[in-house]
Amino acid sequence: MRTRLMGLAIAISMAAGVAGTSLAADDVSVKKDLFTVITLQGLPCGEVTGVTSKAENDHLVSCKDGNRYHVFLNAQGRVIVEKQ
Amino acid sequence: MLLTAGCADLKPPPPVARSSVAPPQTTAETVPPAAQPPAPANPSAPVAQSGGAAAEPAPAPATPSTSASAASRDSTAVNAPPSAPAAKSPPPANSPSPAPPAKATPPANSLPPAPPAKAPPSAKASPSAPPSQPPGKASAPPEAAKQNAPSLDLASLESRLKQTKAIGVLTKITISNQVDDLLSQFRAFYAGKLKTTLAELRRPYDLLVLKVLALLQDGDPALASALVASREAIWGILSDRTKFAAI
Repeated sequence: MRTRLMGLAIAISMAAGVAGTSLAADDVSVKKDLFTVITLQGLPCGEVTGVTSKAENDHLVSCKDGNRYHVFLNAQGRVIVEKQ
Repeated sequence: MLLTAGCADLKPPPPVARSSVAPPQTTAETVPPAAQPPAPANPSAPVAQSGGAAAEPAPAPATPSTSASAASRDSTAVNAPPSAPAAKSPPPANSPSPAPPAKATPPANSLPPAPPAKAPPSAKASPSAPPSQPPGKASAPPEAAKQNAPSLDLASLESRLKQTKAIGVLTKITISNQVDDLLSQFRAFYAGKLKTTLAELRRPYDLLVLKVLALLQDGDPALASALVASREAIWGILSDRTKFAAI
């Protein structure tokens, strides 16, 4: 019983670790995507430090240089970057 | 002199004869036989090399090395005569003359793959023969490239851009928006609503391509190279009113 419980605990901890890393990777990819979008618009942003997602394609982005942007997809299908 | 010069190419016989006479000095003896040709040969060989360097400065970018080597040889040859005409002048002449023929064949064969990089060896080997070969073989790759250029498949390129994981979703949408903006500029230009020139429209096109390339070059280098290969073909479509209208 103890060995089974130990195995189950290890499996759960490994799954949690994998999920955590995947979430971290997603977070990194989202930050990179938003940073690219902001820079493609010609706006300054040294590095994306924080992201607050309001919806699937609606984010509030905080940059390392202090700038904050609202990045979202409008009804016409255009990515809009608004400085806050 | 002319006879000795004519025999310069026929080096095997002299060494053999002298080797039989004095075996221990075979290495040094190769010099004397060559030394005889060098004196007459030097005028001809240096002239050919210097002529190649002077007369063919532009065609052979590799000439610098050859010219440098030739210059060093010439300097050695020039320096040699005053100090020791018989002993020192031969070696430099010998090493250049025998080496080129041997190196001539390999570089010539290896030229096709990389003409610019291997041009130097060929120039060193034989100034006259290689120049004729490189142009002929160099002309082949551009023709192939031109044939590949027309085979532009915008649809596959577009699908690959949509499917690549090197670019995030929002970035793809942003790029798509910028492409649409550029296309609208072309439409306005061809409609006469935008007062600009094709040359001025080329700049935003190049910038957009560079942006996409910057995004792709690390994550999807194959697609980046495909885009580079299609760059001029795409511009060919954009800059042609009829082709652009057919999009």
